[in-house]
Amino acid sequence: MPNPAGPPAGTTVALVGAGGIAGVHLQAWLALGADVRVYSHASAARLVAEVGGGTVVDSLEEALDGATIADVVTPTFTHADLVGSAAEAGCQVICEKPLARSVAQAHQMVAACEAAGVRLYPAHVVRFFPEYAAAHAHVAAGGVGTVAVQRFSRAGSRPERDWFADRALSGGIVADQMIHDLDIARWTAGDVTRVFAREVSTPDGEARRGVVSAQVVLTHAGGALSYVTGTWAAPGSEFRTRFEIAGTDGLVHHDSARHAALRIDGGSAGASRGLLPGGSFMESPYLTQLRELALACTGGPEPRVTARDGVEAVRLAEAAAMSLETGRAIDLEDVR
Amino acid sequence: MSTLRIGLVSFAHTHATSYARALLATPGVEVLATDPDHAERAGESGGPAMARELGLDYAEDLETLLAWRPDAVVICSENTRHRSYTERCAAAGAHVLCEKPLATSVADAEAMVAACEAAGVFLMVAFPVRFHPAFAALRDAVAAGDLGTVAAVSGTNNGKLPAGRAWFTDPALAGGGAMTDHTVHVADLMDALLDGVPPVGVYAQANRLLHPEAAVETGGLVSIEYANGVVATVDCSWSKPDDYPTWGGLTLHVVGSEGQADLDAFGDRVDGFTTGRGQTWLSYGEDLDALLVAELVDALRTGRRPQPDGAVGVRTTRVVEAAYASARSGQPVRLDP
Repeated sequence: MPNPAGPPAGTTVALVGAGGIAGVHLQAWLALGADVRVYSHASAARLVAEVGGGTVVDSLEEALDGATIADVVTPTFTHADLVGSAAEAGCQVICEKPLARSVAQAHQMVAACEAAGVRLYPAHVVRFFPEYAAAHAHVAAGGVGTVAVQRFSRAGSRPERDWFADRALSGGIVADQMIHDLDIARWTAGDVTRVFAREVSTPDGEARRGVVSAQVVLTHAGGALSYVTGTWAAPGSEFRTRFEIAGTDGLVHHDSARHAALRIDGGSAGASRGLLPGGSFMESPYLTQLRELALACTGGPEPRVTARDGVEAVRLAEAAAMSLETGRAIDLEDVR
Repeated sequence: MSTLRIGLVSFAHTHATSYARALLATPGVEVLATDPDHAERAGESGGPAMARELGLDYAEDLETLLAWRPDAVVICSENTRHRSYTERCAAAGAHVLCEKPLATSVADAEAMVAACEAAGVFLMVAFPVRFHPAFAALRDAVAAGDLGTVAAVSGTNNGKLPAGRAWFTDPALAGGGAMTDHTVHVADLMDALLDGVPPVGVYAQANRLLHPEAAVETGGLVSIEYANGVVATVDCSWSKPDDYPTWGGLTLHVVGSEGQADLDAFGDRVDGFTTGRGQTWLSYGEDLDALLVAELVDALRTGRRPQPDGAVGVRTTRVVEAAYASARSGQPVRLDP
């Protein structure tokens, strides 16, 4: 059902990639009334069949040719090339987070889009989750005064696809999962000057990979402190997010396990929902995100996230990786 | 059952009130209190008047209290006075329960342990949260391997800016602010969970954005690495607003290879709302200070050394001392295991 508040009629989207997040994006694009061409080196047909919409195309060129928007939802290590191609083809670009595997690569992507005269938006979808959006709006309006100390926590079952476990490809838990909260921390407390990180993994077993948990401490330019922790937990673990933002005039906090509009106890047969948060009766944050970004791509107002936010999130993740490697706190100025 | 004599030394720390109540409620325990430095706390409760309010017998000075030959003393002085009071009481043959933090420097903490050893008395540190039955259950679950291998812990011990006692924000008497006050509770729980595995690395950042008029840090994050590879981060900030419904709270989130656990040490409560007064929290949880005092009394009666002991106090003090060094330098600090 086309959404009247969506992008103009005739908006064509090239959805590049057919992995876990692609289905969510495809559903959202269809709900927004877009014509979607799906290209993937594998399983595009399966995705289109499962979602029940979109058109499979056989090549990247065919997908991009004349498309209004390219939505790149491939593994992180492929983003730079694909975004470059999309920009060259004149498409506005939306790119799954993290924008790139390195700050240098992220800068190249921004430069390529600028040179081509197209917009680039990173899909930092957590900014569109209503609990984070509500907290940010409150903080931005001075609801907690000056932010002093904030904490963000995100835990869910470890992703099973192999590329997530390959640090060279995914950047590990910090770049892949925690980048959401690194971005939110910067959204609510401003630019960061110093990053320190620790990470622990338990050994892989025969049947499954071990658990990974990382902890990052950010020091913001204004003096605020952030603690960000992420966990790839044991299989079947409930997906759970939490945050608290404390300032000079108060605090806000949220715990997804405690603020649910509906809980159904499925007994012993109840299965975990896995990687993506579920159970909300709000509009899908992925839909909210793609509507806002699509409108921005077609002459609408500036969205709540910019290419610079995407670059800075990658910079935070890269600094955290450097900290893990060296055991030192990293001055963000040194990450270029 | 012979009568135990327990001296309460100083009302500077407001926990003296709950320890006094617990001691007075314990059968076979006589209590004598002294608050020698109360004149320095102008305008604050203390001295013989506070003793009367609490129903405590009062001694004018420490010498008089020690001449009463107490079996043990509970020291609730300002942090930087813990050492001298401990040394004087130990020398008089009294076992010591000292308010946390044990000391404001590792040197002081080690001297206190040595003084008590030399005097043949035990030294216990007032970390009441480890006596919470829910923490005991968590500790048992971890020891039984229910969570698998423990990998990472996130701890919070947030509170209001301590009210009613100005010394908490006086560096000369407190040794520091939120990082001194609130890191050690979680560090003690980590010590108990990991069975004394020592910290080997500390990174910390502190700020003064909350209550900028205070002369000490009011916000802080302390990241700790332990010798077995476990990592923990503690939010020790005084970040609860002045009109928050309670003093603060303490939480732990433990991540293991086979599961996760969440402890909310003050989660046993009814939440409510009162017109004109805002939120109401009705705690029905255990009186942790009473459980701490019960451990002291039981140790005295049975002649054993209670936990948490001076060694825990030294290890937790080491974390705080390293946290300040790290916050100053902006880089992590290594500790010898």
